[in-house]
Amino acid sequence: MGRGYIVEECVEKYLTNLSAAAGSCETGLFIGQCSAQRDFVVLAVRTPHRETEGAAESQRTLSSLDNIDVEWVAEHARQVSRMLPGGLSVLGLFLIAPPEVSKEAQNTLKKLVFSVDKSISKSKLWDLSEDDVTERITLHICSKTRKAVCKTFDVKDPKCSAKPADWRYQSGISSSWPLITCSVQLDLQIPVTSENVDESIKDGLRMWAKQIEAALCLINGKAVTDDSELLLGPKKSTKASQQQTVQAQLLILTEDADAGQMSSAVVQECSGSVCVRGAVHCRAYIHTNKPKTRHAAQAIKRDVVNTVFSRVEMLLEDLLMSEAADLACGQQDLPRRVFAPLSGSGLSVCDYIFPDESTADVAERFKEMLGCDLSEGDVDTSMEAQTCFSVLGVEDGCDEEATQVPTQSSAETVPKKNAAIQYAAGMAVAAAVALLATATSLLYLTE
Amino acid sequence: MVLTENNNFIFRLKGVLEFSCQLDSSNEAHGQNAISKAFRVLRSRISSESLVFMVCNSPILLWPNKSCHSTVESLSERTPCRDVQQHIDLEDGPNRKSSKRRDKKDASPITVNLKLLMEVTESGSGGALSLCRVTKKQQCVMMPLCMDCVINAGGHDTLGFVCSGLVAALHAQLSDMEQTVLKYRKDKSLPLPEPFHFQLPASDRLFTVIYPAAVTDDQLLSVREELHRKHDLPRDRPYFRRANAFHFPGEPYKDGYLRSPHTHLNAPSIEDAKLYVVRGVYSYHHYMQDRVDDNGWGCAYRSLQTICSWFQQQGYTERTVPTHKQIQQALVDVGDKEPSFLGSRQWIGSIEVQAVLNQLLGVNSKILFVSRGSELASKGRELANHFQTEGTPIMIGGGVLAHTILGVAWSETSGQIRFLILDPHYTGGEDIQTITDKGWCGWKGPEFWDQNAYYNLCLPQTPKII
Repeated sequence: MGRGYIVEECVEKYLTNLSAAAGSCETGLFIGQCSAQRDFVVLAVRTPHRETEGAAESQRTLSSLDNIDVEWVAEHARQVSRMLPGGLSVLGLFLIAPPEVSKEAQNTLKKLVFSVDKSISKSKLWDLSEDDVTERITLHICSKTRKAVCKTFDVKDPKCSAKPADWRYQSGISSSWPLITCSVQLDLQIPVTSENVDESIKDGLRMWAKQIEAALCLINGKAVTDDSELLLGPKKSTKASQQQTVQAQLLILTEDADAGQMSSAVVQECSGSVCVRGAVHCRAYIHTNKPKTRHAAQAIKRDVVNTVFSRVEMLLEDLLMSEAADLACGQQDLPRRVFAPLSGSGLSVCDYIFPDESTADVAERFKEMLGCDLSEGDVDTSMEAQTCFSVLGVEDGCDEEATQVPTQSSAETVPKKNAAIQYAAGMAVAAAVALLATATSLLYLTE
Repeated sequence: MVLTENNNFIFRLKGVLEFSCQLDSSNEAHGQNAISKAFRVLRSRISSESLVFMVCNSPILLWPNKSCHSTVESLSERTPCRDVQQHIDLEDGPNRKSSKRRDKKDASPITVNLKLLMEVTESGSGGALSLCRVTKKQQCVMMPLCMDCVINAGGHDTLGFVCSGLVAALHAQLSDMEQTVLKYRKDKSLPLPEPFHFQLPASDRLFTVIYPAAVTDDQLLSVREELHRKHDLPRDRPYFRRANAFHFPGEPYKDGYLRSPHTHLNAPSIEDAKLYVVRGVYSYHHYMQDRVDDNGWGCAYRSLQTICSWFQQQGYTERTVPTHKQIQQALVDVGDKEPSFLGSRQWIGSIEVQAVLNQLLGVNSKILFVSRGSELASKGRELANHFQTEGTPIMIGGGVLAHTILGVAWSETSGQIRFLILDPHYTGGEDIQTITDKGWCGWKGPEFWDQNAYYNLCLPQTPKII
């Protein structure tokens, strides 16, 4: 008795095609949705090949498990996570390997599962709830015999052993999943209290994320209760009919338990402040297997938090890449969210576009990261406005020093460059970060 | 039915607004501006369409700045506000019981509790997300403002009236808080402004005052003098101390003591008799409370505690009710008892009660002596007079028993009298039903007293303070 997985049929086709190239190792991710009863796998995507200086892609076929770049797989998972709307996540991994290394395959997969989980978790501002499924699926496919072994690992327990799972293909599983959507307005004033601006911003966003998590959620105008059903009407007809769109509203409860103990305001020395302002468009999908409104509420709330945090992270990473030492003063655009259909699924995936990027750049990234073949026209850029408020113009009390700083957009700070270079550079930095992390852990070990 | 229907409502809105401002280290005028600006930001939030009120224990959500848009279809701007009641779920027992009782005789207003929420989702698309950094050395000052607004309404008043009334009350409260913060701030230290509601004598209306936290009642004397002047109130008793704040029906007392159990009793029927009872609120102190086993010796201590609770809850003192140990210490301190008295199980009498009240609360008491219990029946006039002028609970000690007298029903013409007694010898739990049914708090005839024993009565006198 293991966990049950319902897998989209096109995943089978994808894996079959991949394993055709025998003699080499391939890794990749499974994407889908968890639910209490079973998980749904809607997409498989292989790890893109890493471009390193001087080495052409063709020469770098993986012939042994030792050559699998764990950090690289984890970084891919982190990037992919950003491109998923609420309700979808990285559910696990597959590994295609020749028969001679099949004994070590399980260990390799376990290692990958844990590093992927770690990499994704560090970009999450919310904590897992008790309801959350912590089992991750792994599929080991023999490149010669095409035989597949399906096991799960519990990421909550580092000492866990592989458990069997039930893997079943089915077609069109996500074609009628309802779409939950909302637009959220932000107006955050974050004091910079530590030397590290990034940390202050993250702390501020973490507090905001807690408010969102605790917010009262209305689904189609009705407050979410513990066991109200998301889908009304006879189940058969909803399944047959097309996808429903559900409107969500979030209401922040303004209760404060600590207020009673305070007698005066909290004063913090700070070196300035960071203001995050504007509207974000949010989406989540929920399976059609008797979902409750609270599941929809959780999925959309997590998307709200993720989409904001992803953008801030991307801006900070972008600055790191362009070797700007620190976040500049003045106003900067955060990247806009764009959507694209995930073919054969009824779902959409998303990406973020900086002002200096084109939809072609985005389409290329969808291809690279998620294996989506898209034309520029498939990328929907209409969900979020291109213009932002002038923060400085609105703030009458802004002090002179600040108002003298010209309004900068990242178009000015980051020179225009083509997508491929940027992509490579991004990966190079990610690799550098990973290297640094390894170095740090080595330091700890030697101490 | 329509005639008996209670038509007075209090709508009470609570919620926290997060105050945040940046203070410059040097510039004083800038500080004041920054604080006022932060309050302006909060006021603009209150005026925005994002403002939402939630009626507690109901599915009702209201958008007061969107023509009172509601999540319940039958409710609109023009609906009489009493209709809200039928959507409120009174699930817990005591609540239901008290509302039943209310139907019969109580004409006090019905409280409808609301919570303040802020919607963060919006239908139109706002501007794109941006980030703006300002670098400047400054102090970031933050505090939660606990908003607590009330408005009185008649059942026929519309929901629109209630909503706009509450929005106006929020605005007014923010302005009051701003003034309080500016007045009591010491450089970078901003006091937390706290709202308190007071019921003025002979009025159902509530009046809200903002006091700065951590500034004591004593330090706020001039503010109270102004309030007494403004409302033309006598200057012989406190009306606007924090302890005088209105207690909303159904709101639990956190200390666990029962309040004023005698209010649950029916008055005795004696021809021509008038009632003279204790003024205001006290808590019932009796044997075995506070994990102190004083069964058989602590009755006078408990009666004294009840009296102290009265002085505290009427705002005469900020001192908490003294423990047995503190009472004994006070008696040693005044030289009434030897140090060996500390920690003993010796009982005390009316004279000791008088001494402790004076030592701990600065309260003087008259002692009334009767040589035989039978004489108490003729003390109607003195006792009636005491409850009319002072209104404090009386401790009476005779033989080895102490009781608290909370009032008398006395006929001037016939001289007939009943005593309202609170008995500290009760050892059970805080169950109002048992206490009133079994007479632990009840009306007693003159035969209640030991006719041949002598009694000392301690009649605490209220200090003339505000």
